[in-house]
Amino acid sequence: MVAYLCLLSFLFTYKACKDEENDCSWFEGSANKIGVGVVTLDGTILSNPRHTYITPPGQGFLPRETAQHHLQHVLPLIKSALETAGITPDKIDCLCYTKGPGMGAPLQVSAVVVRVLSLLWKKPIVGVNHCVAHIEMGRIVTGADDPVVLYVSGGNTQVIAYSEGRYRIFGETIDIAVGNCLDRFARVLTLSNDPSPGYNIEQLAKKGEKFIDLPYVVKGMDVSFSGILSYIEATAVEKLNNNECTPADLCYSLQETVFAMLVEITERAMAHCDKNDVLIVGGVGCNERLQDMMRTMCSERGGKLFATDDRYCIDNGAMIAYTGLLEFAHGVSTPMEESTFTQRFRTDEVHAIWREKKASAGINGLNS
Amino acid sequence: MSFDLNWVFVGNNSEMAAVTASPWDFSCDLEVDFESDENASIVHAALAVDKELQPDKVKRQMSIANGKLSVHFEAVEARFLRTSFSAFMDVLTLATKTVEQFGQGMEL
Repeated sequence: MVAYLCLLSFLFTYKACKDEENDCSWFEGSANKIGVGVVTLDGTILSNPRHTYITPPGQGFLPRETAQHHLQHVLPLIKSALETAGITPDKIDCLCYTKGPGMGAPLQVSAVVVRVLSLLWKKPIVGVNHCVAHIEMGRIVTGADDPVVLYVSGGNTQVIAYSEGRYRIFGETIDIAVGNCLDRFARVLTLSNDPSPGYNIEQLAKKGEKFIDLPYVVKGMDVSFSGILSYIEATAVEKLNNNECTPADLCYSLQETVFAMLVEITERAMAHCDKNDVLIVGGVGCNERLQDMMRTMCSERGGKLFATDDRYCIDNGAMIAYTGLLEFAHGVSTPMEESTFTQRFRTDEVHAIWREKKASAGINGLNS
Repeated sequence: MSFDLNWVFVGNNSEMAAVTASPWDFSCDLEVDFESDENASIVHAALAVDKELQPDKVKRQMSIANGKLSVHFEAVEARFLRTSFSAFMDVLTLATKTVEQFGQGMEL
């Protein structure tokens, strides 16, 4: 989910909306980032501060340490979000948080804070699916109406399209996420995790000249990355020691291979559902090479690519707030006793009620 | 706000543990004085949502009286008691700080 850091991300958002102004604030903390956002229903972001847990080169982030990071930063982030947005709690309509998927301990931080604030400020809670939040954020920012969605991050790799009330998963990874594969390879090369390992791979790949053959693993609509990672981990050291290639060549070859796989399954999903537009979301989505490859494919099919930059691709509080606000506007809220968090929460479990009612009810639910 | 903690370990003797009817030999009591029933009940309500992950190994009971939150842990092994208690302290601290910083008289 996050930039392309490894593991899942947990985010929590709280969104608020005032009837006349539609102010909404939300918090998101997922994977190694925690963020708080304040949004309105038309997608305006009033504030969206975020803090990232950056580990030393060669290391990933672990649930316990990540949760400690979130514990330290969540309350100052809330203060900063409210100050920047220039709103007080009474202007908030609802509080959103990331229910899942993600790492348990970090998710709990957002959930606990949102419950306490809900009781203190007497505001309703809305639990949000992290993956659906990425999709909705991407749609509102780019204006893509009904695209095939490629959701690529450190924790997730899915090809998704909307059909009959839900975001259906047409293809996905059968083992690790593409971002996890890139992150872990960055650790082999001991690239910096700042701002994210995936970004540093992307920069290094631009200097690559020689393509190293790597396994290409597409299985029907699904992809697999763990075998590619094992292969490149094993051969990298050997080839580098023998001066057969440079770290840049390896980054270039890995990117070309895994991105080609993603473009292939995305194109097949487009053919399945007869859609010509693609939206890329998730931390890996800010990789410009992936965007270029996808754009080429889309233009050959007469479609358009919609992508966002790192402000929206990477986990943030605003995406949770906005999605929670959408649900809230359609009458959805989460009772206190159900405001739990869960490590497993599939994209297609969410009833995307706001897309069904788009034509009729619209946002009138807010005023009821 | 004040804070009271009391640990009880019985069952150090494995032989005795084996014949005891109840396996919940390790317990711990924690009391936090919020000096306010309202604040204590907010923290109670927020933390009661998350159940213990291993209910067959650790039990947690919470109650409120006179502005105090009382928490009682029971576990079958000391290590489960420690991890559960330690995780609970993190979120208890977080919930308490949230009440302090965003409760009545909050200034932005």
